[in-house]
Amino acid sequence: MLDAGPASTPDERYLDVVAVRKSFKGVTVMDGMNFRMARGELVSLLGPSGCGKTTLLRIIAGLMPADEGSVILAGSNISALPPHRRNISVVFQNYALFPHLTVAENVAFGLRARGMSKADAVQPVREALALVRMQDFADRGIAGLSGGQQQRVAVARALVVRPDLLLLDEPFSALDRKLRETMQIELKSLLRDRGITGIFVTHDQEEAMGVSDRIAVMNAGRIEQFADPSTLYASPATPFVMDFVGLSTRLSGRVTGHDGALSVVQTPFGTLRAPGHRPPGAPVMIGVRPELIRLEGGAEMNRVDLVLEDVAVLGSKTMLQGRPADGARLLCELAGIRNGKARGDAVSFHWAVEDTLIYDAPDGAAA
Amino acid sequence: MSPARADRIGLLVVPGLAYLGLIYALPLLLLLLKSFRDATGAFSVEEFVLIFGDPLQRSIMARTLRVAFLVTLLALLIAWPTAVVMRRAKGGWLTLFLVAMILPMSLGVVVKAFAWSILFRTNGFINQALMGIGLTDAPIRLLFTETALVIGAANVFLPFMVLPIYAVLQQQDPNLPDAAATLGAGPFYRFFKVVLPLALPGVVAGCAFVFSMAVSMYVIPSLIIGERQQTVAMQIARSFLFLRNEQLGSSLSTILLLVAVSVVLLSSWLAARLGARS
Repeated sequence: MLDAGPASTPDERYLDVVAVRKSFKGVTVMDGMNFRMARGELVSLLGPSGCGKTTLLRIIAGLMPADEGSVILAGSNISALPPHRRNISVVFQNYALFPHLTVAENVAFGLRARGMSKADAVQPVREALALVRMQDFADRGIAGLSGGQQQRVAVARALVVRPDLLLLDEPFSALDRKLRETMQIELKSLLRDRGITGIFVTHDQEEAMGVSDRIAVMNAGRIEQFADPSTLYASPATPFVMDFVGLSTRLSGRVTGHDGALSVVQTPFGTLRAPGHRPPGAPVMIGVRPELIRLEGGAEMNRVDLVLEDVAVLGSKTMLQGRPADGARLLCELAGIRNGKARGDAVSFHWAVEDTLIYDAPDGAAA
Repeated sequence: MSPARADRIGLLVVPGLAYLGLIYALPLLLLLLKSFRDATGAFSVEEFVLIFGDPLQRSIMARTLRVAFLVTLLALLIAWPTAVVMRRAKGGWLTLFLVAMILPMSLGVVVKAFAWSILFRTNGFINQALMGIGLTDAPIRLLFTETALVIGAANVFLPFMVLPIYAVLQQQDPNLPDAAATLGAGPFYRFFKVVLPLALPGVVAGCAFVFSMAVSMYVIPSLIIGERQQTVAMQIARSFLFLRNEQLGSSLSTILLLVAVSVVLLSSWLAARLGARS
């Protein structure tokens, strides 16, 4: 339940991960990680495998010790507490339901482990199962349940103990696509209604955008950007975030000068302009989202001429793909499917200068 | 596959069945029949009445069961941590453990039992070590004691306890103890409510193996404990080879067989019950 009072500082810093370091066999995987979230927030840790998101989750849960740094939850330092004293529930990727127990016994496990009598546990277990619409399966074994049903039981088991924090490790990855989308919507509203503070770990950007208020994009043990989904998509802070969240086109170039508040960038297929001043001569990377590209536009827009290499009809939209001289791939997303374009057509891609993303070229990727 | 063809494939079992029937089941049956006859050949349970009425036989049976029980218990206590370590071992370490478990099985039991009898001697390694670290001033009598028998036999049968337990632990989802921990379960609760119940089928199988082998072992007690404190198996051999009392021998065999069969039946019933829940 959310506290009714003013948004006090402890609520803003409900979970505070401070300067956490972790290395495995001499290899540092996390070097001074800081991570903070508010009470009642749903946050995703998004990143490719090996980025440290699961390590961070296990450190928060107490399943793995940090080499240095601290984890503070609701104002108390829990760094030294073992997992069973933290009151942090985890929904595991494979759900980790107890195969020797029934559905109801699985859900009752946390209550019984905390010393609640069998009789006292009956009512909360029934409520938790009703919450995930699994009340009819209470006396069934685990083996016969479908993936979606198992996930519901795992969520009920995690919530029945009223955790201070709920961690979900790739909770949807074992489900097929259709079911995944349904379960995402269902779970999000369930957690939201109950004011649960939750962290999703995922490598799926659509999932992260669908279920969370804010997303921490992680790469190589660091948080590259921590923002709400629309900020993340519209203004990615780094080329990695731009690449990882949504589709994008990336072009290499070099700054040749300035035009008012804009930088002029020479690329192998023409001169482009982008917001902000970059030092002349600097190697940069230009990015643009496919849905911001038009086939017509004025002289004030950025423009690249190319030949269409592929036209893919994707139902509600069409994806045009062209490859100009240097081999970079340009994607243009058009609404609808009737645009009369075909493979081999010569077209011009236009987009607004202010929609152009510009970054210092990553090491080794200079033009 | 046509039913006729399936039938013909079924015929492949005939050589195996014939072999087992001829050299295993038939002699066993004859032995069983003999145990229920008196000297004249008429049906009788007289021999069993005599055996259970004889304090010596009763003490031998009690010793046999006690030793088998203690061997099983000791093997279990050593095997559990070993299997847990093996569960976590990877690559070369795991291979080393598996070889350490399996290789000794290829060594004849006589060799192993004899090796133990050397260790247990008055001037053997164990006594020298005990005196060396000052635990005792004079050598302790180890050889020809039940303690030595239990320790030696538990060692010989250890792989049969470790491997089934390792097998079930290996199948266990490593996330389960973590899941239990995040739900508020401390180490003991996790062990007794999650890890152990899921490992029970393996524990039951291991105990059944070791107990049925320990209750009928002959070579190990002969070498470690000698004639002075007999077990049922030694008694059977003595009846046939020295006493020429086939009645006694076959009746004792029947008793031993019944013990072994009930252990196997009980354990498979237990395993099935445990398996049905999971």
